[in-house]
Amino acid sequence: MIIRTQYQAKMRFFCLLSYLILTFTPVLEVSANPANPDVSLVLDGFYKSEATALSERGRSFGLGHTELSLQSAIDDRLMGRFTTVFESHEGETEIEIEEAFINTTGLGMGLDMRFGRFLSQAGYLNSHHTHSDAFSERPVVYRALLGAHYFDDGVRLNVLIPTPFFWQIGVETFKGNRLAGGVGDEPVGVYTFHTKIGGDISTSNSWQFGTSYIRHKLKVMEDNHEEETHEGHSHSHNAVYSAENLYILDAVWKWAPLGNVRNQQLILSAEYIYADDLNEYASDDDNHEGWYASIVYRFHPQWALGIRQGEAKLKQAHGDHFHDQNLEETDLMISWSHSHFSTIRLQYSRQQGAGFENVNNAVSLQYVMAIGAHGAHEF
Amino acid sequence: MPMNFRKCQIILFLLGCLIPSAAFAKLDILACEPEWQSLAELLGGDKVDVKSATTAFQDPHHIEARPSLIVKTRNSDLIFCTGAELEIGWLPLLLTKSSNYRIQKNQLGYFLASDQVELIEKPATLDRSQGDVHIAGNPHVHWDPYRVLKIAAAFSKRLRKIDAANSEYYQQRNSEFVSRWGSSIKKWESLAAPLRGKKVIVYHKNWSYLLNWLEIEVTGDLEPKPGIPPTSAHLASLLSHTKYKKPDVILIANYQDNKGAQWLGEKSGVPILELPFTVGGSEAADSLFTLYEDALSKLKQIR
Repeated sequence: MIIRTQYQAKMRFFCLLSYLILTFTPVLEVSANPANPDVSLVLDGFYKSEATALSERGRSFGLGHTELSLQSAIDDRLMGRFTTVFESHEGETEIEIEEAFINTTGLGMGLDMRFGRFLSQAGYLNSHHTHSDAFSERPVVYRALLGAHYFDDGVRLNVLIPTPFFWQIGVETFKGNRLAGGVGDEPVGVYTFHTKIGGDISTSNSWQFGTSYIRHKLKVMEDNHEEETHEGHSHSHNAVYSAENLYILDAVWKWAPLGNVRNQQLILSAEYIYADDLNEYASDDDNHEGWYASIVYRFHPQWALGIRQGEAKLKQAHGDHFHDQNLEETDLMISWSHSHFSTIRLQYSRQQGAGFENVNNAVSLQYVMAIGAHGAHEF
Repeated sequence: MPMNFRKCQIILFLLGCLIPSAAFAKLDILACEPEWQSLAELLGGDKVDVKSATTAFQDPHHIEARPSLIVKTRNSDLIFCTGAELEIGWLPLLLTKSSNYRIQKNQLGYFLASDQVELIEKPATLDRSQGDVHIAGNPHVHWDPYRVLKIAAAFSKRLRKIDAANSEYYQQRNSEFVSRWGSSIKKWESLAAPLRGKKVIVYHKNWSYLLNWLEIEVTGDLEPKPGIPPTSAHLASLLSHTKYKKPDVILIANYQDNKGAQWLGEKSGVPILELPFTVGGSEAADSLFTLYEDALSKLKQIR
């Protein structure tokens, strides 16, 4: 009997203890240390009916761009961000560090610098994280010339010009081994120059216009056949087509009634890319060229419709000569976001082209979900 | 003389931030929302130039970090925002892109209203399955007049710190504000006394501070979870709920989509009341004072 009471008392003690722990745990969670970095995880998965040309996403089920990101202030003068991407292709899992940079928080005179690995700000889409895209894959011209999104190790210097409208000028230098053609003998393989202007026309309308130039010091070209084998379902992040000079024009226009993007928003965007000096054998007529234009209309807080037309006219290097390639893609998509953190997208892509394998029409169903910190998206 | 002034302006413009502009010009303040623009104008008078990043017709949770906003952020000496994650989708990006050290987090030029007062509705546990809840609590503090007093005092103190030369002026403006606001609270409270115990359905937890202050009861929310727009299933359950809870009114903010509220209003016969959520949200609401007055006069229509 006595033993039993002791046992009961012990049990009561444990019950009380676990009760206390349970009661206080959530409180501890809420008062999380403010010095903790923002952690966010993006889950991206898809089903695709067919393999398509120049695509990172193969047929059937697959994982897309699963990214884990940490961001925080380092001190009052610096912030840092780290993003690692997990991708799965044909049974192989790839882990890539996509971003690992430090950025200054205002050096004065509108200057800021960034060091480390980061997405180049050339072009419009390139500096955006792919999970914020309206379509399941980047436009064909991006996939061909920039490896869907060009990031590299380097330094950036940006200046915000003190004009009444938005005007930013930036230069970047990169190692350069992530663009096709590799690094040359120089320690710095890629330079980019970029300028952007933008503003509001009214409370409902905003615009931005950008021009960029990417200079790539190619190494002396060897035969390009190695890259050819990737064609169709390249799982390389690197661009497939080399060029010494890339010129990009981009324009974006966004509309929302009275600027209230919560209920509806219309986004028009377009980019044009021209590339020349493809390698040492290239003549003046040998160049890559491509463009896309897209219309995305979110007609309800949860629903969006989009159409995108894109084309890439490419030259594939074969020793001392080139083969013409051409790929056109039309994408139609409808997406539904239950909350701000979850999106399901149905997309139909129609391809037409010459010189590629896997020129196909495909239906894909994709989800993009965010766990953790509420990231801010660029304009 | 005007010519010289013009030249001086051009030189200043060209040199941009090389010259500390505060010595010549008014203090440039960027308010994230119109309510803080109004408060900053009331407290700063003619020594400050205040812009608002958003209007009363925009949902402050969902704002694009537009190029024009980057420019406004770059030019400001002080930002006056709500905080508590209300602006988390756009303000951090504006700060990063502005290349303006003065207004970075924890600098003198960074002022958050929610840092000055206790917030209500802090989540006991944090989990997105409860919707897009704010970890720090409900950020819509401008609807509690007593919290506004505290925020005003702290903001005035900050103005005196940043612009010490005009310290006395700001002190004076604050005393004027305190006495005028204090007497207004008394007037509003007696005006709103009959509203005590009324029942409302809300759309998002926008009005919690106001309703707490006026002791109005919330019986339902058009959003199934914070941040998730009304679904038909949720509206249907609200409809049956109106039968026994008998709410007096469905309260929506001027910037919100009123489709869900209209459906529920038609089916249940509960009237819809649209209130200006912030300054500029109705024709009458052109300052914090008139905002409260307009909202209260509209609430008085509840029978």
